Amino acid sequence: MANKNGNIYGLTILSPIKQDAAAPVSPSLELRKYLHELCAHERSPFARIRDVHMARLVVMDDVVFEGSPSHEEHLRYKYLVFEANFDGDLEPFLRKMLDAAREEVGQIWRHCEGFPGTADPDKFIEYMKKCQLETTFYFVDVNDKTVPQTLKALQTQSAVAAFIQKHQGATGGGLREAFRQFSKELAAAKTPHPASVRGREFTGQLV
Amino acid sequence: MSYLDPTDIQGFALRGYNFPVARFLFLRFPDAKRGREFLSWTLGKITHGGHWPKDEKQCIRKPAVTHNIAFTYAGLAALGVPPASLQGFPVEFIQGMRARHKILGDIGKNAPEHWEPLWQGQPVHTWLATYAQEQQALADTQAAIEAHGAEIIGSQDAAKLVIDGARSEKEHFGFTDGFGNPDYLGMERHTQPGQGKIAPGNGWAPLATGELLLGYADEAGEWPVAPLPHLLANNGTFLVYRKLHQNVASFRAYMKERGRLYPGGEEKLLAKFVGRWPDGTPLELSPEREDPAIVKDDNRNVDFTYGKDLEGTRCPLSAHIRRTNPRDAFGFEGRLVNRRASVSRVRILGVPLNCSDRFCRSDPTSRDRQNLYLPQAHCRLRVRYPVRSSQRCK
Amino acid sequence: MPNLNGKQYAMNAISPMKPWKSWIVRGFFLFLGYFPGAGRDLNNLSFIHFARWVIVGRKQFPRLDPNRAEHKDNLRYDYLLFFSNFNGTWNQYIDAFSAVLSAGLDFIWRRSEKYPGAVPVTPFKTYIQRGQFETDYYYSAYPHAATNDVKAAHRVQAAFDSLDAKRDLPPAEFEQAYRQFVLQVQTDLGATGEAPVGT
Repeated sequence: MANKNGNIYGLTILSPIKQDAAAPVSPSLELRKYLHELCAHERSPFARIRDVHMARLVVMDDVVFEGSPSHEEHLRYKYLVFEANFDGDLEPFLRKMLDAAREEVGQIWRHCEGFPGTADPDKFIEYMKKCQLETTFYFVDVNDKTVPQTLKALQTQSAVAAFIQKHQGATGGGLREAFRQFSKELAAAKTPHPASVRGREFTGQLV
Repeated sequence: MSYLDPTDIQGFALRGYNFPVARFLFLRFPDAKRGREFLSWTLGKITHGGHWPKDEKQCIRKPAVTHNIAFTYAGLAALGVPPASLQGFPVEFIQGMRARHKILGDIGKNAPEHWEPLWQGQPVHTWLATYAQEQQALADTQAAIEAHGAEIIGSQDAAKLVIDGARSEKEHFGFTDGFGNPDYLGMERHTQPGQGKIAPGNGWAPLATGELLLGYADEAGEWPVAPLPHLLANNGTFLVYRKLHQNVASFRAYMKERGRLYPGGEEKLLAKFVGRWPDGTPLELSPEREDPAIVKDDNRNVDFTYGKDLEGTRCPLSAHIRRTNPRDAFGFEGRLVNRRASVSRVRILGVPLNCSDRFCRSDPTSRDRQNLYLPQAHCRLRVRYPVRSSQRCK
Repeated sequence: MPNLNGKQYAMNAISPMKPWKSWIVRGFFLFLGYFPGAGRDLNNLSFIHFARWVIVGRKQFPRLDPNRAEHKDNLRYDYLLFFSNFNGTWNQYIDAFSAVLSAGLDFIWRRSEKYPGAVPVTPFKTYIQRGQFETDYYYSAYPHAATNDVKAAHRVQAAFDSLDAKRDLPPAEFEQAYRQFVLQVQTDLGATGEAPVGT
């Protein structure tokens, strides 16, 4: 199925945005403003969903006109594009999205035509599926590791580098003891919250 | 392949000078008229890329002094180059490196507010380089320049290191330098295997002329961005001048301390940092020891690739020469690299210094204040490294 | 700027295709799906986390009320949408593709209106810029990690798990296993962190 590559689902949704000639600010501009102000880091609604590797929301104004002799044409509606890459399958994901980010989902999609609101999960899923496009070709570099596995591995990588540097020249029993202690600490450390580590060099502390 | 007219190309771009002493002068023009007058006088003196004459013994007779010149965007504007032409320069040249310092990583201690006073005030218009056999010639030349109306706002002397009374090819960290300027199509000069790009079927081919000179096709199959009219830019190039502090004493101390833990010791660790042993032997060709035979052999001292060492066990991925010119280290037969590796260098010079051993250990001035001057010529100021380099090497 | 999040860049691009031509592109992608070896160069470039192509037929732009005629688009072209999550700057990305994957790019985009070819790179960049539209919100669970960092991290995790299973060996044997481990992971320990500055 073209939407899936290994464990990862590639969701592409195009939702037509409302038009309201009477509004002082158009729905698409209101939507843009909301998106620009929405937090993209560890307090992002997608961080709460935890299954999302990467996701984007884009207001697509129109198709592109390449110039003569190509024909000029226009879309009737602007579209909200939702492109997401997450672990697992579509319906469970959409339900999780509603549970973890009900408020934000409502605030985003209320600008779109035909949006049924966030009260009824089945209606919400039906709406999203109506707006879904089939991915023609989906490329995924690492397609068999979940988000928690990835975050844990990055934590391990950083901690291991620090450990190796600290124990250069160590040998025998001392080395083994130090490693055992390190292993215990690493096992006990919480998997980092998604999007919480930004631009930091390894410090030797478990981040 | 274009025929290159060496008399229309500046000597330092075409040939790469090897002189013991140099002085770089930084000029401003008070107005366009006086700037052009000065230029007219200078033009007759510019050293072009034609071959130097040989004497009766067939030895090349280098001139006593060379003159070469380069302009900043501000300098060209000051000379009255029309705005329509000025706009045709690439944005990197127009903005200047000060505005783009974050892209280069010149941040923190290296940020522009810490640069020397010369770069803090009014913009420099022109860089005038004089290379010479003797120090006195530099002073005489400067006097002549001043006498013809140039306002010299800065000056920088440079020289090859002197070790045990003789001029050395070593730079301040103790490494032999000066290997491998790239080879370009159409240049009639001494070339060595390893200087160009990797040719299909395991050999070397010269890089496209447009990688160095404006007005010729480059490796991407097009003409590099250049202003109109053609006469303004053709046979020209962009010059990068960079003065770097070398913290020699810190480097020495660090290598000594780390060398204790490293099998192979300090010498080998030094080699791993750079990709060549201090005497110039490429690590890739001789991973365990220096080899003077390779160093002396121009057919070998730059002829190597990393294709069989992709893991970096012989020459580490982050070694200096491997980062500067990855050759085929990223796969794809070097195609990701060819446009980025070709930076033609005029010989690196440093603060004039006399040492009694190659690492200047006994020299009391050998502390953290040595300076390195890197005039480099390239056709595209946006010197990019392939994405894989920036993501893999830290 | 919302196109960027840490080390990732979210690129969106659209180009029009005459409908009879878009079938050729669909066919090519189908072929790639069955013969993944054909995409080997893309894998080796190793700076894209996720990328997708979506062909939207001229009647396929989602409609919530397909019966209202005045809401029809009346389009003549199909559209090729492209979404990429890649590492490095925009220029590095396009340069690398133009240098190494021009044949593949040309095959996909040759059916798009007025496509100039991936080589030389300057007109190619102009074409992409015309069809590119900006991201308004970009989320990444690991913005500090390029795809190479992610792959290296998984290798380190696997090696660490193996070593951890040996932590009860006698000291001399453990030390031996540890040294093997260090040799194995030594090229995968680069610090993650900042993305390159630039355009």
